[in-house]
Amino acid sequence: MKKHQATAFLLLLLAALVCFFAGREFLTMHEEEAVYPSPHLTIKKRLSDYFPGLKNSPGDSSVYIFEGQKMGGTLLILGGTHPNEPAGFITAVLLVENLEVTQGKVIIVPRANNSGFMHSDPQEGNPQRYSLSTPGGPRWFRYGSRLTNPIHQWPDSVLYVNPAGQKLSGTESRNLNRSYPGRKHGKLTEKIAYAIMQVIDNEKADLAVDLHEAAPEYPVINAIVFHENSAELAAVTLMTLQMEGVDIRLEASPPNLRGLSHREWGDFAKTRAVLLETANTSHGRLKGRPSATLIINGKDKNYMKAAQLGLLFVPFDEDGISLKQRVSRHLASLRALVSGLHELHPDLCIQLDNLPNPIEVQKVGIGPYLTPSK
Amino acid sequence: MIQIIYHFLVLYLTFHLIWFVIREKKFWNQLSGVIVLIMFLLRLLLIK
Ligand SMILES: [Zn+2]
Repeated sequence: MKKHQATAFLLLLLAALVCFFAGREFLTMHEEEAVYPSPHLTIKKRLSDYFPGLKNSPGDSSVYIFEGQKMGGTLLILGGTHPNEPAGFITAVLLVENLEVTQGKVIIVPRANNSGFMHSDPQEGNPQRYSLSTPGGPRWFRYGSRLTNPIHQWPDSVLYVNPAGQKLSGTESRNLNRSYPGRKHGKLTEKIAYAIMQVIDNEKADLAVDLHEAAPEYPVINAIVFHENSAELAAVTLMTLQMEGVDIRLEASPPNLRGLSHREWGDFAKTRAVLLETANTSHGRLKGRPSATLIINGKDKNYMKAAQLGLLFVPFDEDGISLKQRVSRHLASLRALVSGLHELHPDLCIQLDNLPNPIEVQKVGIGPYLTPSK
Repeated sequence: MIQIIYHFLVLYLTFHLIWFVIREKKFWNQLSGVIVLIMFLLRLLLIK
C-alpha cells in the first residue's frame, strides 16, 4: 500500500469515529423527556388517533385528555408549536402533571410539533437540553427548533404557498404556525396542522389556546392574540389579569395574515382561538452566549442595555425574565381565559382543580410542581 | 419516492468522496474530503 493510501484509510477511520460519536450525540435529540401525567388523567391519545395519516411519523404526538364528571366547556391547550419556546411547552407539561378537571374537558398537546423537538437550529449554539430541579432530583427537557426537522420534511421550496393561500418564504413550510388549516396529503407540518384541526373538530373545542414565546425585542409579547370571534373573551381576560397585577395587552389577529392558529382555528374550526406570548431571552437576537441557564433564568446583560436604550417591548432589568415568571404568566392567562369563558357563557364552565397557582410558581419555581423523576 | 432518489444521490456522492480520498496524494486535500464526507454520512443515516 502506498503512503497516501494508508493516510486515506486512517482519515476514513477517523471520519467513521467522528460520525459515531457525533451521531450518538445528535441522536439524543430524538429522545423524548419523561412526562408523568396526573392521576386524574382520563385518557392519553395520540394525534394519529385523530388523523391516521400521522401514524408512525415523527409528527405524531401525545394528546392528554382530562374529562370532568359534569358537562361543561372544552378547552384545547397546545404547547410546543415552536419547540424553542420553552414556557409554552413547560406550562403544558405542568398542567398534564397536576390537573384535575371536575367539570368540562381539557385536552393538552405539549409537543404540538414533535419533529421540531428532534433537532436544534443550526448555527445557534443552543443547548440540547435544560434541567429543572424537582424535589426528587433534576428533570431534563428538550430545547428544540422553531421549525420541523429538515430530515423529516424537505426540500424547502423557494416560495411556500400555505394551505390558507398566503405566500411565504420556503422555510416557513416547516413552521406549524403558518400551516393551518393543514393539508391531509400535504407536507409533514401541514399534516400535523391538519391533525390539530381534527382534534378541535372532533372534540368540539370551545376554546383553543396556542402557547408561545417571542424575543423581548419583538412587539407582540406579553400579549393575548385573539381571533375576532373571541374579542369579548380576550377583553374580559385582560381585565381579570390586570386586576391580578399581570401586565398584558391585546392584539387582534390580522385577517390577512393567514395560516396562523389564531386565524385559521377561528375561521375553519369555528373555535374561539387565542394565542399567548411571553418574552423569552434565549429566543432573542440580542442575547449573549446561549446556555441552559439563560433559558431558565432569562438574565442577559445585552438585553438590560437594550431596555435602557428603549428598544424592548417589555421591562427588563438585572433579574431577567425567568422561565418560572413566563410559565406563571401563561398559567394566569389560562386561568383568566377559563373564568372569562364561564362568565360569558355559563354553560361552558370548565372547572380546573389543582392548577398550579401562578403566584406560587413565581415564588417557589416550577420544580415543586413537577413529579419527581423516577 | 423522493426519499429514494435523495438517498441514492447522497450515496453516490459519498462513494465519490471516498474514492477521491483514496486516490488523492496531497494530505490537506484528503483531509478536506473527509470533513465533507462526515456530513454526507450523517445525512445518509438520516441523523442530522
Ligand atoms: Zn412561537
